[in-house]
This record gives sequence, C-alpha cells and structure tokens, in this order.
Amino acid sequence: MFSYPVMLADKVLRGTEKLTGTEIISMTLIGLSVVFCALLILVVFLCCSGGFFKKTTVPPKAAPKKEAPKSAPAKAPVKAAVPKAAAPASAAEDDSEVIAVIMAAISAMGAAEGKQYQLRSVRQVSRGGSGRSVWAQAGVLDATRPF
Amino acid sequence: MGGVLDFFTNTLGGLWSDSGIHALFAEGGWKNLIMILVSFVFMYLAIAKGFEPLLLLPISFGMLLTNLPMAGLYHPDLWVLVDGHVNYGEVLKEGGLLDILYLGVKLQIYPPLIFLGIGCMTDFSPLIANPKSFLLGAAAQGGIFFTFVVAGLLGFTAAEAGSIAIIGGADGPTAIYVSTRLLTGGGAITTGNIALAAYTYMALVPIIQPPIMKALTSKKERSVKMEQLRTVSKTEKIIFPIAVTIIVSLLVPSAAPLVGMLMFGNLLKESGVAARLIDTAQNALMNIITIFLGVSVGATTKADQIINIKFGGVMLLGVIAFSLGTACGLIFGKIMYKVTGGKVNPLIGSAGVSAVPMAARISQKVGAETDPTNFLLMHAMGPNVAGVIGSAVAAGVLLSVIG
Repeated sequence: MFSYPVMLADKVLRGTEKLTGTEIISMTLIGLSVVFCALLILVVFLCCSGGFFKKTTVPPKAAPKKEAPKSAPAKAPVKAAVPKAAAPASAAEDDSEVIAVIMAAISAMGAAEGKQYQLRSVRQVSRGGSGRSVWAQAGVLDATRPF
Repeated sequence: MGGVLDFFTNTLGGLWSDSGIHALFAEGGWKNLIMILVSFVFMYLAIAKGFEPLLLLPISFGMLLTNLPMAGLYHPDLWVLVDGHVNYGEVLKEGGLLDILYLGVKLQIYPPLIFLGIGCMTDFSPLIANPKSFLLGAAAQGGIFFTFVVAGLLGFTAAEAGSIAIIGGADGPTAIYVSTRLLTGGGAITTGNIALAAYTYMALVPIIQPPIMKALTSKKERSVKMEQLRTVSKTEKIIFPIAVTIIVSLLVPSAAPLVGMLMFGNLLKESGVAARLIDTAQNALMNIITIFLGVSVGATTKADQIINIKFGGVMLLGVIAFSLGTACGLIFGKIMYKVTGGKVNPLIGSAGVSAVPMAARISQKVGAETDPTNFLLMHAMGPNVAGVIGSAVAAGVLLSVIG
C-alpha cells in the first residue's frame, strides 16, 4: 500500500527547490517525448482499428440513376427567369417533378401581381470550387457563420 | 448614566474595529479594495461583454466574497501544510463556506467531474476519422514544456514552474488539478493565481491566436481545403474511450483521473444506453461543479496572494505559454502540410491547444478570412479534442516527475 510521503519520495524533482539547467532540459525533453509517444500509440491504434472497420463495413450500393426527361414540363405560361451566370447542367441531374413544383410556386407568386413567367432552361449553378452542392454550401455557411 | 455611556461607546468602538469598513481602511486594506474593484471588472466583462460568463461570474463573485474583510468565508492559513498534510479536521471545524467548497478543489474532485461532463458533450469523431490530428494535439503541448524552461530559468521552483507551464495547455480544470497538487501551500503563487491566469487567457484566445496564426502561415497555406472526413461507425466511437483510457492510464498513471473521467463521460454518450446519466453529467452535475469550482477558485484570490510581483510573472508567462502552444501547433501543422504535399491546412494546428471549442472556431474563422468557401471547423475539432487528451497527459508527466 502506497502512502503519500512514499510517493513523494519517488519524485525526480523536489517541488520546493529551484531548477538547474540540466533538470530543465531533461524535463522538457522527457515531457515532450512522453506526450508524443502516448499520442503516437493512440494514432497507431486508431489507424489500425480504422483500417479494420473500413474493411468490415460494406459501402452502401449506389442507387440507380433515374433517367430524367430532357425538358421540364411548363405548368404555367411563363416568361423566363433562371440565373444566367450559371454553368450548363447535365440533363440527368434534373428532377422534372421538383422543377415543376418550383415553377408552379413561382407562377403562383407572379399571378398575384399579374405577371407571367416562362421556363426556358435549367442550369447548374457553379459550386465555386468547394465541391459542395449549392444547398450543402448554404447549409455549411448557415452552420458556421456564427464562428 | 456615565456607566451606560461608557458601555455604549466601548461597544460601538468594538463593533467599529470588528467591521469590514475599519479593516478596509486599516493597514493593507487597500489591497482588498483593489481586488474588489478587479472583481467588479470581471463581473462587467462577464455580464456586459459576455466573456466566459459561466466561469467568470462565479470566479469574480468568489473574489468579491473572499476580499470582503472580516467576512471569514475563506481562510488561507487553514490550507498551509502542517507536517506535509492539510489539517482537514481544522478546516471542517473552523472553515467558512468557501473553505468547505474549496475541499473539492484541494482533494482534486471538481476537475475530473468537469471532465466527465466535457466527455459527455464531446464528439471525438473528427479525431477518430483523422488520427493524425493527435500529433497536432501533442505538438501544441510544446507550449507547456517550453514555458517550463522559461519559468525555470527565471528562478521559479519546480512546483511553481510546472503550475505556470500548465497554463499553456489552455485547459482550466487541468491547470487547477495540477497546481493544486503541486502548490501545496506557503508559496507566493497559489492555485487561484494559476486559475485566474488560465481562464483570463482562455477568454482571450480570439485575440491572442489570430496574429500568431497569420504571422506563421502564408496565404497559400491558409487557403488549403482539406478532404472531407470519413464517417465513423458507432462501434469505433464506443471502442475509442475504452482504448484511450487503458493506453493513457498504463503509460501515465497520474493522468488517469482526468483522462479516465473524460473517457467515461464519452462512453456514456456514445453507448446510447444511459440517457439519464448523460443528462445529469452534462447538465445538472456540470453546472453544480462549475459553480462550486468557480466560487472556490475565486475565493483563493486573496489580496495578499494576488497583489505581488510573482503574480505579474504568472500572468506574463501565461500569455507566453499560450502563444508558444499556438506556435508549436502551427509549426507542426506546416510540417504536416509539407509532408502530405499540401493536403493539411496548418491553421488546424493552432487548435491543438485545448480551449474547446474556441480554438477550433478561431481556425475556422482565420481560414474563412482567407477563403470564405473553406470550412475548417470539423478538421480543427480533431486537434482540438486531441489537445484535451494531450494536456491531460502532459499534466500527468508533470505530476509524476515533480513532487
């Protein structure tokens, strides 16, 4: 059974004494080495376990892409209004139903003011080099703006 | 009639000499007055400016209470070691309210319980997904050991140098834990001094870190966009706290109380089967301990122990420790940037100082200033939580070596 004074006697440096140059350098080197070693062992452990779990986890199968129609159905008489500074989009990514619903909403909004809109084309907006979709970009911006 | 008058004046004189107002204007009373004004400044910062109010308010009120002369809420003389031990019987018999609350600090109960709550609130996924973050968390602990060098060269004792150096870990509970163990009473530096410096600089992280980050990194380095982190499975999240506890406790047993409780809290969270315990640990228990810890640490800031040259040294070395920790993390981040061929943004290195999540927010903010479409927050959280483990290990090393 250890007692407190016995543990104190085992310490290398006496707390009440001033430090010599050798003690200072030794302590710094030992401290940094132990911290790096301890965390390096954790890195190795996590890399090994991460590799194991990556192997055992079966990636979910990609859902088959739906073939979207080439042009969106115009639900209402319209006169154009999609941003022109957008890059050309692949037709395969278009979702005709979503586009139709959005156009219906825009038409309903315009109808109140007596205006009519026409859908001429749907283009993909540039991702600005971040690799995220516009909605993901907006979501990330919204989540990180307070910081 | 004369007797009544004499009795009246004597009693009134006694009451006056026993009053706090008399003590305030007696010899040395001006120091209490200064500390009371300092407590007002902290209260202002907490209430009006919102600087760490959950901690600064209890600390500042503890500071006010302890510096009210004659109130007798806290007695530093009760904590002076007699034959190498605190006379706890005397503390229970003679101590004031804050002496009793301070028992939790002195017996190292509060910091591990705070770590339990922190563990419940921390998501280690960014660290598990990118284990190399651990190295940045380790590098930032250079601030602790290089400050130890400076403090040692300036003539501080081993215990004082260790206690000052741990401020560089940017972790309040760890700083209190280490300084309570090392500073066993009688010296000019107290746990209150260390805690005050640590929490002051933690609140100032948004001011201290950005200039160092900009000075040590180029615009090209700051604009590096890092790959999205992989998804971490629940099993990995459950194994992580158990493995860290075993590995760290076997290597540095002195770090076991802090790391063990941190990981216990995290296991409660990740297990998903102890909702009631998590709720208690991260809300009620955490809040109670924060109040007790804050008020009792504030109570240790007695005017006599704060207003001295050594406390000036603690404050100066504290900011050096913080800056060195930030710089070490950034320099290691730059090394990783070179080694990985530009895949690591060095800015996440500065988050290796604990200060969760403030340091990671600063990495995000400085990165976004260079490129608004760059989101480093989750990448910086890896080194940030690694820093908590790293500073606990560094604390364990200090406690193992210094007696």
